[in-house]
Amino acid sequence: MQHVRLMLMAEDLPRASLALAETAQFHPDTRPPEEQALANPPGRDYRETFAMARSRLDKIARILELEDSPEPGQTRVIDHDDLAALNQQLGTLWEDASRLEEDFRRLDEEERVLREQEAALENFANLNVDLGALKRKTRFLDFYIGLVPRENVSRLEGAVALAGHLLLHFLQRDNHAHVVIIGPSGEREKQLASVLSSAGFQALPIPEGITDKTPEQLEADFRARHQALEARRGALKQRLVDLRTKHCEQLLDARRMLLLAEPLVTLDPSIHGVKSLAVLCGWVPTRAIERLRENLGAHLQLPFALETRRPTAAERPLVPTVPTHNRLLAPFSTLVKQYGIPQYGEIDPTPLFAVTFLLMFGMMFGDVGHGAVIALAAYLARAKLKNFAAFGMAAGVSSMLFGFVFGSIFGVEHWLPALWMPPLQDPITLLKVALVWGIVFIIAACSLGIYNRFAVGNIQGALLAPHGLVNLLFYLGFLTGGWNLATRGGFGLWPGVIVLGSLATLAVHQWRHLSGPVGEKMLVVFIETLDTVIVYLSNTLSFLRVSAFSLNHAALAIAIFTLADMLGTFGTIVTLILGNLFILVLEGGIVMIQVMRLQYYEGFSRYFSGDGHEFAPLRFGEVKKLRS
Amino acid sequence: MSAAAHAYLNTRVSVMSARLLNPDRANALLGLALPELAERLGLQSVIEDQLSAHAKARAVEQALMQTLLADVAVLIRPMNPAERALLLSWARRYALFNLKTLIRGKLYHLDPGEIRKDLYDLPPGLRLARDELFRTENVLELLRVLERGPFSLLARQAREVYEQKREPFALEAAIDQQYYNDLVRQTMRFQGASLQPLRRLMGALLDRVDLMWMLRFRFAYGFSPSETFYQLVPSPRLLHRERLLALVNHENLRQLLDALPEPLAARMADAGDLLEVQRRAVAHQAEETRHILTQSASGVARALAYLMLREMDLMLLFALLQGGLLGLPPDVIKSAVDPHAFGAANGGGALAAAA
Repeated sequence: MQHVRLMLMAEDLPRASLALAETAQFHPDTRPPEEQALANPPGRDYRETFAMARSRLDKIARILELEDSPEPGQTRVIDHDDLAALNQQLGTLWEDASRLEEDFRRLDEEERVLREQEAALENFANLNVDLGALKRKTRFLDFYIGLVPRENVSRLEGAVALAGHLLLHFLQRDNHAHVVIIGPSGEREKQLASVLSSAGFQALPIPEGITDKTPEQLEADFRARHQALEARRGALKQRLVDLRTKHCEQLLDARRMLLLAEPLVTLDPSIHGVKSLAVLCGWVPTRAIERLRENLGAHLQLPFALETRRPTAAERPLVPTVPTHNRLLAPFSTLVKQYGIPQYGEIDPTPLFAVTFLLMFGMMFGDVGHGAVIALAAYLARAKLKNFAAFGMAAGVSSMLFGFVFGSIFGVEHWLPALWMPPLQDPITLLKVALVWGIVFIIAACSLGIYNRFAVGNIQGALLAPHGLVNLLFYLGFLTGGWNLATRGGFGLWPGVIVLGSLATLAVHQWRHLSGPVGEKMLVVFIETLDTVIVYLSNTLSFLRVSAFSLNHAALAIAIFTLADMLGTFGTIVTLILGNLFILVLEGGIVMIQVMRLQYYEGFSRYFSGDGHEFAPLRFGEVKKLRS
Repeated sequence: MSAAAHAYLNTRVSVMSARLLNPDRANALLGLALPELAERLGLQSVIEDQLSAHAKARAVEQALMQTLLADVAVLIRPMNPAERALLLSWARRYALFNLKTLIRGKLYHLDPGEIRKDLYDLPPGLRLARDELFRTENVLELLRVLERGPFSLLARQAREVYEQKREPFALEAAIDQQYYNDLVRQTMRFQGASLQPLRRLMGALLDRVDLMWMLRFRFAYGFSPSETFYQLVPSPRLLHRERLLALVNHENLRQLLDALPEPLAARMADAGDLLEVQRRAVAHQAEETRHILTQSASGVARALAYLMLREMDLMLLFALLQGGLLGLPPDVIKSAVDPHAFGAANGGGALAAAA
């Protein structure tokens, strides 16, 4: 990976952004410039205009329910004038669309009020009130019938009381209350009007001629009003369709233009400069530098300079890491990413993860039949699982291969000759294999971790950090001593020296990095040192689960066959089917979790920092060909 | 909340309460020049930045508010959902400030960049759907967006107010009402040992707010009694509904202050103008809040009391810094704040800027 610094004239920025996006190998570096003089970035107007145009387009597309995506087309440079003109057009169009949206909202509101009016009149009909009398305003009395938000009723009641009026709350629907306000007409009418408006009062007028009409006629009136509203809604919908049809192409063009303008906007935080000079920094894979230079040379109209250099030691944490592109490894890469992204220079753990994951899964769930079911299920569900189908199939195949090793098919161990031995034949040997596997895994993980720290220039970390070289020495000494103890009855001098020496080194290192009272430091150092011993011992034993689960698999199968033997033919069939399903789903799930646990905690935590960040180059979707 | 969580929260509040200003510390701050004060608060970079005085004041306010919100984040961790919701609702006023800024900006067609500068940067738990609201291009669109979210009722009411009155005051009053109503409603849902101290705390807050609103609406804006009453949110303590109904009918400041219930009446005995009333009302609230902080056993009430006092302290600091940034003479700045209120048993008056 190389750090590149592109110096160019500000007016060439749109072209440069397209050239960089087309190459799809430029990861922007957003750090502020070292030179103070370059602190005035050009192109802020461009970003603001783009943001406004994009926002307008999104809003219009939502209102007009525009779902089409633009067809791939030829690229062209979108300068600020083009963008400003587009923004202007979209502004006019947005006003039309927004007015339409507001009209729909008003229509909804009118419809709501009409429904409330119907409900109010129905309620009055039940109360046997003379609505004609309420409609006639007298010289002495004011009537207000309407809706207020439910939570305002109490305060409004007090407020109208102060104006000498009475509030009657007669119906509640949703969040609104139906109220009648009655009081003397006169000078307080004006202040009451102001209060009503603050309270969000909506009048519910009593229809004309209400006293002269029969209920059927009133019902017909309301029906007619609903129909009128529906007719207006239909007209509005038609206007919406017309607007969409009329401007569809224009909006798709706008989308294309914004797609082409987007790379420059994405680059904006990494553009610095002064007056007409712009500086653009980023990270580019070494192999792509020449292609980038050629592409820029072909498309920029004004002179430019492209400087490249290797990242400095201090910059390493900032350098992006190119992800694994292997299609088969893609699902494993996704699982690795759940833990973190490898730092630049670190070994990508994905291939190692894939191999060890499959080995452990196969050993813990070794069965030709169950493995075949898993592989088949993953194959059949490949459309749904996408990348993970390969993962499922690989796990199934691994399970099948170990099934041949153990001679197990759907838990039956006498149909197939075992290439090695069935797990329950000699559990101790199986446990020993798991222990050796764990030791090899831990040593490999520590070695990788040490290498990775050396690779990123962290010498002290490689030697003294948790799972560093001193830790590894301790572990090797501990293992040798343990072996001596088991075979010869004594720990041995050299292993003892190595263990004590490495622990003392770690303790001194801890002590030097601790602050606080001496007692506290002693306590912390003692606990941390003890922790080192316990962690390595427990981590090694942790791998016993690899064989424990293969024993478990065989034992579960025996339990199911025993249960099936105790039942009749039908019961046997049902038990075998359900039992195998149980093994597949529950045990399969548990094994998967255990393997992940071993990988994350015993593996990744030793050799993988996971604090890198992914290479995310500037790119645009469909558009392929650059035209200046 | 479990006893252990109460103990933890109470310990946390007690530890954090050591940060609150007392008269000595407040007086010491008053004597500091702007650079010294900024250095003590870790705000040198803001003060030294090449920005306008307004922009610097805004940055200072934002920094102080982040301090307060950091305390909120710490205190809500051990709380149960209802307690957490109450504290977040209290802190949500900053989100409502943003909403008011947006409404005002849209109403007066301000430049989006200018509006953006005046918005507080809030953590996700308190934030409005700011980007979507910010992208709106007029008040009606803003209200339509609001109607689609949790503020739908407020937006509908605001729309009616806006369409009839076309003034931001009515909208902002509706927002404030809803804010305080929500706080009271949430408080009254509590049961057990927390209810009483929370009632008292919220009562002190609303007594202060109602008194100031009542005086302003009646005598500064000339609202009628019924209009004034409608704008108030009855307090669960002194200025409850019936008392407000009686108070708003008074014809002048003196009559109204004399009719206040004790201890507010005694405190306002010789207050002659709104500024003085405000200082004393804030002092009353501070005293009540401090009482809850020191005497209550309820973790949530003490946490909220601490936050309210902390906010007052931060406002004092903001007043001092802002005065310095505007180049005001020290005696003018000192006249705006009264450090004797801090931790004093008799209250004595708090910072004017807090109201």
